[in-house]
Amino acid sequence: MTRGSLVRSRSLWVTLGALLLLLPAAPAAHAQNPFRLKLGAQGKICLDCHPGFQNKLTSKFVHTPVKTGQCVGCHSPHTSAHGKLLSASPNAICATCHASVVPAGAVSRHKVVIEGNCVTCHDPHASDNKANLLKAGNALCVGCHTGVGDTAAKARFKHIPVSDGCLTCHNPHASDKAAHLLKAAVPALCLGCHKPDSPRFTQQHAGYPVARADCASCHDPHGSNTAAILFDTVHPPVAAKRCSQCHNAATAAEPFATRRAGFELCRGCHSAMVNEAFSKSRVHWPLVDRTGCLNCHEPHASRQKKLLNVAEGGLCGRCHRDTADYQARLAEKARQERPDSKVKVEKGALAHSPVQEGRCTTCHAPHASDSVRLLRNASVVDGCGACHDWLKHNSHPVGEKYVDMRNRNRSVDCLSCHRAHGTGYRYLITFPTPTELCVQCHKQLRR
Amino acid sequence: MPRILSAALLLLASLAGLGPGAVADAAERLRYLTAVYLDDKGGGMRWPEGVACSTSALVVADTGRGRLLRYTLEGRDVKPAGELVAPQLAAPLRVQIDSRGDVFALDGKQRRIVRFGAKGELKGYLTPEGVPEPATIVPRSFKIDANDAIHVLDVFGARVLVLGPDGKYQRHLPFPEAYGFFSDLAVGRNGTIYLLDSVKAALSAAPRNARDFTPVGKSLRTHLSFATSIAVDGRGVLYVVDENGSGIVLVGPDGSVLGRQLAMGWTEGLLYNPTQMCLNDKGQVFIADRGNSRVQVFAIVR
Repeated sequence: MTRGSLVRSRSLWVTLGALLLLLPAAPAAHAQNPFRLKLGAQGKICLDCHPGFQNKLTSKFVHTPVKTGQCVGCHSPHTSAHGKLLSASPNAICATCHASVVPAGAVSRHKVVIEGNCVTCHDPHASDNKANLLKAGNALCVGCHTGVGDTAAKARFKHIPVSDGCLTCHNPHASDKAAHLLKAAVPALCLGCHKPDSPRFTQQHAGYPVARADCASCHDPHGSNTAAILFDTVHPPVAAKRCSQCHNAATAAEPFATRRAGFELCRGCHSAMVNEAFSKSRVHWPLVDRTGCLNCHEPHASRQKKLLNVAEGGLCGRCHRDTADYQARLAEKARQERPDSKVKVEKGALAHSPVQEGRCTTCHAPHASDSVRLLRNASVVDGCGACHDWLKHNSHPVGEKYVDMRNRNRSVDCLSCHRAHGTGYRYLITFPTPTELCVQCHKQLRR
Repeated sequence: MPRILSAALLLLASLAGLGPGAVADAAERLRYLTAVYLDDKGGGMRWPEGVACSTSALVVADTGRGRLLRYTLEGRDVKPAGELVAPQLAAPLRVQIDSRGDVFALDGKQRRIVRFGAKGELKGYLTPEGVPEPATIVPRSFKIDANDAIHVLDVFGARVLVLGPDGKYQRHLPFPEAYGFFSDLAVGRNGTIYLLDSVKAALSAAPRNARDFTPVGKSLRTHLSFATSIAVDGRGVLYVVDENGSGIVLVGPDGSVLGRQLAMGWTEGLLYNPTQMCLNDKGQVFIADRGNSRVQVFAIVR
């Protein structure tokens, strides 16, 4: 081999080696620049047509892909099946990079996170708030959680961590430890700040080992108008620290066990109410089951009047879900026919307002009654008449002396034609039109 | 050859009603026969909530009038046979008949079970004996099986108490975990006890001698509104009485929904807030049609 051929052979190998080195680099370059934009054109080329966007880039916090000019990280420059030329569904695109915000096996997850509505809280491009949040601090959270915001703002007795920020106790995306996005389960979360072994703490809790109890069964963690941030409605024995009225002594082996079970415990003080209920022909059965009064009432304190677990409508709907669901469907139907829609609005209500508003006890007795369906009034006509004064001026004959023509054992009353919980038809009647209803009895008028 | 043999065996089993789909394939239907409105004096019922039946007798809990009405069954005829009244029975809700013809009724006011003899004589309250703690018993419903054992749905003790005909404690089964509210129970011919959870729209079952209840099928929420009582036939088909939905949902022994029968209305053949039903060996079904203040009689048609 001559010296010249040796040199040619070496340069050939060098060239081949260089080409081999370049081979894997080519796809990588393509991945980084899939649209083969000119050098330095990334991001800048978008700003040529979106000049208003320049201001965004001056924000304190800019989303990394925006900062690096990787607009194509989220947008497809040519076509897309999604709005704003997003390269994936707006509900899924964030998770392509930020999947880890929801830990595996999360106990609770923020609804907006589950739905992928990240833009409810975050600006996808830039913001003056940390983590590109739309608003800073609690203002962002109370934008949706208005009830909690109002409570906290108006509370006479504040819980300091609320002022410090919702994220003192809650995770924003999900929690792998507790419900309600809490960073830890109660009482461990509370014990992070409150020391149960202090003499004052012990005295305040009448010596009961509440470090093992659910603090939120008495205290409103968002603040309240009652001292010690107890919920606004407090059971008098709790307010007077007479825990042993219902529970075993603080020093007992099982201090939290109640002295009696179910309604038998409550009857000790509320004997008049329980005796009155038991004098009726029909009792609301949950009152006499193992849980008893606590099916509907809190034993210690509550946000609701009468120590109800939750507001009345929601409370009844927890068991009577069929009624609650039906009312929701009726409300939706009424909403679709709202006055500002183009659909012609017909006269007559689709739903009965006490039911819609969750005021079930307007008509029903919550504990017991002598009437069927636990109605407060034995007479349907009198019950309806308490609100509706049709009978005082003109009305179809109703009352015990008028026999229902469809059934000899029934007299004519309001429920002969209407259903109090609605039917889906106007005026709560049981047939689509008044004519169809009336001819059920007045058969001679059928056409 | 073995394949032909197994196919032949399967065919024979299907014809004999032993195949896996024996119940599901034969869908039961309810055909209207008649309606009962009156007592023996021509007085009408008012809000009847309970019915019990045998092949020859029907007893109705005429709740609104605070009495029990007795009827005899002759063929398709339902003839009034007097009433049972007692001060202990102000609001009869559920009623049962045992093999001797004794009538048991649950009083809504005292929440105790009252017993009458076959001739209508008052025998007093059924007093459970030897029942373990808690001592308080609140029966929401009860059923009497073919051996006259009384199964009491004790909602206070969260258990089903099984008592002898004399009220002596035999055994009990605790309610399953995480239930809503149990409104009724039924006892199959094979001794299986069924529970109806009205709130969760679900059924549970405990085979004879089992210690616990296990779920039967999935939630029935999509098939009914708010059911408050159940009955079971000889084949293990469950009849779930949908009080708010005014209909009967049929559920197979495996929990599969076989269909829905009847609908809301005032005319005969339709129901308005039915509360209890019973079946007898003649294939007759009696339904306490409370909202219509009557009892309706249907035939099971397969």
